[in-house]
Amino acid sequence: MKSKGIVVKRILFWVVTLLVLAGILFPLLWIYLTAFKSSNDIFAGTLQRQLIFTPTLENFKRLFVQFPFFRSMGNSLIISISSTVLVMVIALPAAYSFARWNTGGGHILFNTIASRMFPGAVAAIPFFLIYRALHLLDTHIGLILLFMYFNVSFATFLLYGFFRDVPVELEQAAMIDGYGRFAIFRKIVLPLVLPGIATTSVFCLIWSWNEFLYSFLFTRNAAKTITVLISSFWGSIEVQYGTMAAGAAISILPTLIAAWFMQRYIIRGLTFGAVKG
Amino acid sequence: MANAKNNVAIVNEISLIRKPSIWETLSNEKYFKWMLVLPLIIVLLVFMIYPLVFCMYKSFFQSGLSGNSTFIGLQNYRTMLRDVNFWIPLGRTFQVTVICIVAELLIGLGLGTLWNREFRGQNIVRGLILLPLLVAPLILSIVWNFLLEYNIGFVNQIFSAIGLGRVRWWAPGGAIYTICAITIWQWFPFSASVLLAGLKSLPKDVFEAAKVDGAKGWYTFRRLTLPMLSPLIVIITLLRTMWLIRLFDPLYGTTRGAVNTELLDWMVYRTSFIYFDIGYGSTLAIMSLFLTIIIGAIMFRQLIKALNASN
Repeated sequence: MKSKGIVVKRILFWVVTLLVLAGILFPLLWIYLTAFKSSNDIFAGTLQRQLIFTPTLENFKRLFVQFPFFRSMGNSLIISISSTVLVMVIALPAAYSFARWNTGGGHILFNTIASRMFPGAVAAIPFFLIYRALHLLDTHIGLILLFMYFNVSFATFLLYGFFRDVPVELEQAAMIDGYGRFAIFRKIVLPLVLPGIATTSVFCLIWSWNEFLYSFLFTRNAAKTITVLISSFWGSIEVQYGTMAAGAAISILPTLIAAWFMQRYIIRGLTFGAVKG
Repeated sequence: MANAKNNVAIVNEISLIRKPSIWETLSNEKYFKWMLVLPLIIVLLVFMIYPLVFCMYKSFFQSGLSGNSTFIGLQNYRTMLRDVNFWIPLGRTFQVTVICIVAELLIGLGLGTLWNREFRGQNIVRGLILLPLLVAPLILSIVWNFLLEYNIGFVNQIFSAIGLGRVRWWAPGGAIYTICAITIWQWFPFSASVLLAGLKSLPKDVFEAAKVDGAKGWYTFRRLTLPMLSPLIVIITLLRTMWLIRLFDPLYGTTRGAVNTELLDWMVYRTSFIYFDIGYGSTLAIMSLFLTIIIGAIMFRQLIKALNASN
């Protein structure tokens, strides 16, 4: 009698688990299915034709030929990588200083998070106008600077957690051995926080890659990012789901790969280091 | 003896004569630690104070994207107080924030409890649910918009196939809940994973003691599990509030603020960049900033406490 209850429980457990997984994965899978469908199949009214179809590459062909897809990818890459490098240049020393000397008694560090709560729309108007005056609209450098600002406080806070994990005694021992401050940082601290630096960089890269509001407002052609290009397929006169799906399929691939390989660090990153996961 | 004394005197003299170089002064710990933080402080100040001052200034003017602006004092603020197009999105933003957080926490608690055991493929399950978290919200919302389309959308086709009938997901009354659902769909893995990590780290002996004492499952959950998870629940609530009050991308991907779905950031965007009313847009921006600060001030202490406790 009892074993029957356990079997029922186990079946229920797997039913719920598989349903949740299906719910999570289906929309992602859908992007890849739609990307390989002809537009006839996309707009087909029956379930069979939506699921069973002859795969075609026409969406990708249209995306590559008719739209500045590769240039947008390039723009997104340039902007994400440059802003991430800038973020790290600013955040690394600051986080080290906060972790090692508790600079500012913690107040400054915690106030940096407050800047993440700054509503996006507040900065949009002033920056739009000053960028227009400085001719920074539709340029890489404009977005690079903004994304640097968006990510720098997060990066500092996350790195702070990683630096805190490095025992101070290690540095003191090295200091007694006669190492200089920079040598200690480079030879002892840096190797130990390398996973932290990698995690933080990937997060900054992805958030810059995904950012939409500012990319959308501040770029037209020359610096148009991939998210903006994809958004333009929906809402134009003719809705191009196939092309949209093809673009989405390629552009979300790096984020999916990152999500899979950074499993251990995603929760730590998203909670600003509060939950080690 | 005398020699040694002499030497000391000479050393003293040298250090008196030779001022420390700038480099030596700067690498003194007292200044050095501030030097490392300085770039961060400058960046944050410039990028926060400039927009703030600018918006405050502009909010006293009637002005468009270009051309002259006229000083009108507090007129913009007066307009705003009587503007339903301000208060309704504000209330709606609040509503969306509460709905999403409560739903995410409940689903997260449920799944966390469900998966808090050893089972085959547990690492794969935990890894797979994290997949949507890093995908651009804009792209996901466009995909959902298509999946929930009335005629050809996959969800409605399934619904009609199993006899539930088609649902108007984007009808004026319900569209905002559909947007909530999309957001919850993307973010419940976050709360589920955080709470699962929390549940896994709870001390086992306490629960065994409770079991020995004859405590029932629900009682243990309410009296033991929940209180021990509460720091994590606080962290989830605060971080999600920070993201949710600025919800913008899912609106662009779906309704574009139509059919009663306008939220705070969208309202500022529409006023400034569709109607080009920079003066009034700045007023709304300032107002939304102040509300954020109020919410932030209330929650911030808790967040710092929670982060400090676990860091």
